Amino acid sequence: MCYHITGVVACRATDVEFTRLGTGILRSRFNRTLIVGLSVSLVSTTLLFGDAKRAEDRFQAEIAPILQRRCLSCHNEERMQGEFSLHAAEAVLDSGYVEPGDSAASHLLDVITPVDGKARMPRDADPLTSAEIEAIESWIQEGAFWPDGLILTELRVDNFDWWSFKPLRRPVVPEFKQNWGRTPIDAFVAARQRQAGMSPAPEADRRTLIRRVTFDLTGLPPSPEETAAFVADPDPKAYEKLVDRLLASPRYGERWARHWLDIVKYADTCGYDKDKLRPNAWPYRDYVIRSFNEDKPYARFAQEQIAGDVLFPGEPDGILGLGFIAAGPWDFIGHVEVPESKIDGKVARNLDRDDMVSNVINTFCSLTVQCARCHNHKFDPITQEHYYGLQSIFAAVDRAERPYDLDPEVESRRQELAAVIREATTSLEELYKEIKQAGGARLEELNAEIVRLESKQGIEKEPAFGYHSAIATAAETTKWVELRLAEPADLTGLSLHPCHDEYAGIGAGFGFPVRFRIEAAEADDEWMTIVDQTESDYPNPGLDSYKISIDLPRIERVRVTATKLAPRKGDFIFALAELQVHARGGESTDDLLRTAEVTSLDSIEAPVRWSRKNLIDGSWAEYENPEAAARLGETHAERTALLKQIETPSRVERRQQLKTTVETSREELKGLPAGAMVYAAATHFPAQGNFKPTEGTPREVHVLHRGDVQQPGDRAAPCVLPLSQGENCRLESGLNEAERRAELARWITSAEHPLFWRSIVNRVWQYHFDQGLVATPNDFGRMGAEPTHPALLDWLACEFRESGGSFKTLHRLIVTSSVYRQSSGHNETHASIDAGNQLLWRMNRRRLTAEEIRDAILMASGAINFEMGGPGYYLFELEKTAHSPHYEYHLFDPNDPASHRRSIYRFVVRSQPDPWMTTLDCADSSQSTPKRNETLTALQALSLLNNRFNLAMAEQFAERLRSETSVPAEQVVRAVEIIAQRRPSESEQQALEQYAAEHGLPNLCRVIFNLSEFMYID
Amino acid sequence: MINRRTFLNQSGHGFGALALATMLHRESQAATSGVLKTLHHPPKAKRVVQLFMAGAASHIDLFDHKPMLDRHHGEPSDFGEHVEAFQNGLGPWMKSPFAFKPYGECGKMLSDVVQPLGDCVDEIAFVHNMVGKTGVHSQATYLQATGFQRPGFPGMGSWVSYGLGSENENLPTFVVLPDHRGFASNGPKNWGSAFLPASSQGTVIFPQRENPIDDLHAKADFVTAEGDRDGLNLLRELNGAFQANRPGDSRLESRIRSYELAAAMQLSAPEALDLSQEPLHVLKAYGIDRAGASYPDQINAPEEEEYFGRKCLIARRLLERGVRFVQIWSGNDNGFPRRNWDSHEDVKRDHGPLARGMARGAAALIRDLKDRGLLEDTIVHWTTEFGRMPSSQGGKGRDHNPYVFTNWLCGGGIQGGISYGPSDHWGYKPLDRAHPTQVYDIHATMLHLLGIDHTRLSVRHDGIDRRLTDVHGHVVTDLLT
Repeated sequence: MCYHITGVVACRATDVEFTRLGTGILRSRFNRTLIVGLSVSLVSTTLLFGDAKRAEDRFQAEIAPILQRRCLSCHNEERMQGEFSLHAAEAVLDSGYVEPGDSAASHLLDVITPVDGKARMPRDADPLTSAEIEAIESWIQEGAFWPDGLILTELRVDNFDWWSFKPLRRPVVPEFKQNWGRTPIDAFVAARQRQAGMSPAPEADRRTLIRRVTFDLTGLPPSPEETAAFVADPDPKAYEKLVDRLLASPRYGERWARHWLDIVKYADTCGYDKDKLRPNAWPYRDYVIRSFNEDKPYARFAQEQIAGDVLFPGEPDGILGLGFIAAGPWDFIGHVEVPESKIDGKVARNLDRDDMVSNVINTFCSLTVQCARCHNHKFDPITQEHYYGLQSIFAAVDRAERPYDLDPEVESRRQELAAVIREATTSLEELYKEIKQAGGARLEELNAEIVRLESKQGIEKEPAFGYHSAIATAAETTKWVELRLAEPADLTGLSLHPCHDEYAGIGAGFGFPVRFRIEAAEADDEWMTIVDQTESDYPNPGLDSYKISIDLPRIERVRVTATKLAPRKGDFIFALAELQVHARGGESTDDLLRTAEVTSLDSIEAPVRWSRKNLIDGSWAEYENPEAAARLGETHAERTALLKQIETPSRVERRQQLKTTVETSREELKGLPAGAMVYAAATHFPAQGNFKPTEGTPREVHVLHRGDVQQPGDRAAPCVLPLSQGENCRLESGLNEAERRAELARWITSAEHPLFWRSIVNRVWQYHFDQGLVATPNDFGRMGAEPTHPALLDWLACEFRESGGSFKTLHRLIVTSSVYRQSSGHNETHASIDAGNQLLWRMNRRRLTAEEIRDAILMASGAINFEMGGPGYYLFELEKTAHSPHYEYHLFDPNDPASHRRSIYRFVVRSQPDPWMTTLDCADSSQSTPKRNETLTALQALSLLNNRFNLAMAEQFAERLRSETSVPAEQVVRAVEIIAQRRPSESEQQALEQYAAEHGLPNLCRVIFNLSEFMYID
Repeated sequence: MINRRTFLNQSGHGFGALALATMLHRESQAATSGVLKTLHHPPKAKRVVQLFMAGAASHIDLFDHKPMLDRHHGEPSDFGEHVEAFQNGLGPWMKSPFAFKPYGECGKMLSDVVQPLGDCVDEIAFVHNMVGKTGVHSQATYLQATGFQRPGFPGMGSWVSYGLGSENENLPTFVVLPDHRGFASNGPKNWGSAFLPASSQGTVIFPQRENPIDDLHAKADFVTAEGDRDGLNLLRELNGAFQANRPGDSRLESRIRSYELAAAMQLSAPEALDLSQEPLHVLKAYGIDRAGASYPDQINAPEEEEYFGRKCLIARRLLERGVRFVQIWSGNDNGFPRRNWDSHEDVKRDHGPLARGMARGAAALIRDLKDRGLLEDTIVHWTTEFGRMPSSQGGKGRDHNPYVFTNWLCGGGIQGGISYGPSDHWGYKPLDRAHPTQVYDIHATMLHLLGIDHTRLSVRHDGIDRRLTDVHGHVVTDLLT
């Protein structure tokens, strides 16, 4: 009887299946259920009384979330990894992994129960918790109840009920209840304080205010004169005047651009292995500085950085802004040395797009979209489909240099020519195909025979391949390579040994000239032609050496001149493995070569493979089997003869025409003005190794199971992110790459976007107060913090939006508020309630950033040079740039005046950041840094005491003080005024003067650079 | 009772850095704690020394003997499946240019070039089924060093420092000894603190430089010892006064303390690096008894022995003085002429001398730690970014093999004399492809030995709870004693 009831309940899903799936399946399943039911006839007492509702609730609350979170990404209806799925009752029962009512017999539990902390499933992840395993165990034991017809899918957050997704509405400003506050900001803050029974701190004194607001808006200290004037200014609007002056200063853009560059990961090198320089990254940095100084509307600023080239054609800022997409790290090896077809090449490109997507969405929307690369976002409504949809928006762009200041007409001509070349090249390829077809079966046979013979016989070769000329775009280009012997020799013969390189599938005879001549000369005499093969083509010799006998006395120079180069893949070269000379007396040949010199018109020096010196290194590729080699030679010859036959005059003419078109277009292209370059997102740029431009054709992007390039799923459809339930966020199909980015830019910057406007006002607030209204500036999702003052945040966002996105207006609003002008003094009572100062009952004291410290030291010492813009200056010696540049900071001279410009203009090396700056918590340009760390370490103390920069600047500071006054007491006063914007107290004066007298002014300056008062802003 | 602060204040200008350091050294017995106030379980080890072979050291030419390659040397390689090799180096099978012999009670087969480690094999657990995710040096180096294959994540030493803190505040918690030629792929990003506090970043020491530690001492004409001493006292006074007027801000107090620690470090660090205190037999054991020798440009064994051995000896001195994590690198970047283990052209030419130098220093370090009773709670970990192919490249070299490579561990709770997880007969992939060992497992195991549950040492960064082992990692219990 028990069985009967258990069976009914446990098999409800099965009953439903009957109608849907048919009897055959039911029978087998029913049999199993029957056995199970018999064997566990007494267990399901909870269901015995038929509380199906409770069982369903329990399944939904306890079991479904475990399956969805931990199992269904692989074991779902579509994927069925291991032919096992947990999406529906029948699938679970069918699998044989679950025996309802008998957990001990259920294989599922074996698979998920860890042994020594390691379970077979979930594969390559943490095991389920013991609570989760227990829940599944008791669920099976109690009959493995599965709600009627329920189909589970992988966890997918579809809940938009979260503060940051709510539409942006302007809140009502609270009424002032006390005699404090100047602006609506103060009203919001005071209202929250009032609720908590707190009150604001008194206003800071003017000396504190000018120090605070000057550093805040310009990143620099006020001068003693500016401080004195402000402190003494009787104008009640003195502070407002000060703020206006600072906002109008070009120093403002330099300070606030630095914040932006922290977020977007700007650096002047690529990072990763070989950390190559980006000599033209700086125009983007200058663009950001200028945009802040010009108070560019925020929406426009954002649009330029995502799709400026599309939305503002012909305007330099539209291209300069695209430096944003290219700002982050880039893997040179993964792109240039590894082809896109290899796994590592795919990984590199996937991670590259990931960086672009994260940069855009983290920066402008404060959402951690990158979480959805391997699985649906576990907390926010972002699926893998959304994520890869965003990746597909960037599927056609790469990071490369592109011109930004060109006449639009020149630019369009450039594109036209590129198109002409592309078309002609395609036609040429078709022509070659046609010729190949004309060769018929015999040509195919010969080709196959060559491949067979080559693969059959091994090839012996050294890693040093030979000499390789520079690449030419036309076959009829002259290149030469020359051997100069140390002393004259009587030559009896010459051998030219061809190269072997698999590049472009060429193999044997790689680069062997089609037409050439060989000449020899005594000392500096005229050339004597030995061989003239310039009138007709010489067939590819494979690996057969080209040998001639001669009898020429007293020869010092031998030259091989190629007059028609060997085809490679769309271009032409001259390569030779070895140029062997045979001299009378035989044995002396090796000695001759050892002392010989090789020169050439040009050469690709890429050791080990390619180098001039390989031409006389005594090694060349050879067939291991000479007989097969001879056959190969014959086959080559027959193939060449056949090719000659099928190359009819009309074909030859067409080929010539097409080639001429390509050449003339290339010439014209070369002649177009080059323009100034910026490192930015680009679709057209010269190829470098395997790194080739898409020319605007998006790469195919697939939804990758677990983020693995080897497990591609459906093709991703370009989309933005949904901001509310059920919203269709797909882009119109058929948009080209430019339109896709433009759509993304329009979506992000729309007036209704709830994240875009909230995100930016929170960032600005955070930089002013050293803490955000939302503590996680890059994450407004469920794993991030909630706003401390939600109404204030929304009010600021609305105010900012309605001001047209003017940063300067926002700054003015914030820094003129009473909240901002509070003292940073302590209040024990308030601290006991709100130690973190979330309610802003005082101003936060903050330490200077690495850049502020450096700039303030430069300013104090008088060394600072306020020249703006241009390439970054080095704070290191640069060595070994050809391969992996070495950045040698310890070899740099800190007295070099070129390095005395503001810190934002320094050349930022990604893999080897400046050690001094790093110790002072400078941003790591490999990660978005929305807020700097603040640490205090012994190494920091050592840096500020002993770094050569500090020592050099201490000397310059001392020099400056001496030049201003020769009176020691006045020098001390002046030093304290410059560093702390106040006069020293009597006891300070005495101690400092005594120290300077004993140890000299430079040591005093060095000590003063280490004052906490210098490092902190009250 | 007189407390430290009043004592410092009373002693005023006459108080010298030496006395200060002595006192602070005593005080620092307590040391600074990491974020883990209590460990997750009782630890077997307290500290780590990690040996990192940059450029990808060949498992089959050092520790993973493959008789099949001897038998089939020169025959066309056949992997039985499509193989993706970084530079398509899939030439004939190639036996190791080095001979193998059994060592120790366990009879472990080692190649001649790592012969000095033969004395230590009964202490060592070899892991022969390591698999990586990429054959690109940079990404693979990041993966082994930080657990992630892209920049921006803290090095393993940073995580350990962050979790456990320091045993001796007068020295950095995490020290890195780079190759004397320069940094490997990714440079200092391999040991950066990323989103962890800067105090957990690796401090670089170049023992052969005039300034082994940046900024430890001031180099300028106007600097004198007295000026420094009085300057520090003056700073303490002025910064003390600034702090006294600003109650409720513990940073200002910490800042004063950081200068006291800096002064102590100025004494402790040179002492730790001063090898003149070591007896000749110790210097000999480490292969660094040839003072003032000069070396040719090409990689050569005596030079490797001297530089690697010096770093190993310094590592021992640092570890016994309470440094938590020391990372020693062998090999510079992947340039020409070869200056690391990336032997595409000639295994014998590069691996020979590099391995001899590494093995001598590493063996001396293991024996020395053991003699001093330190090995029982110190983990020694040998690693590289990936292995090399059993097929030849260009006749004498080998291409990258991210599909299998070797790690070894010894000391601190590791079972000696074992070889875990064999690779297949060729050394191409793990024998059991379904159950390889990954860097996450090695990291999880090492953290486990240090008393840390790798799933519980995490930091919220940009909305994600980050940890060394990402979402992976299992403790390899077979390696434990």
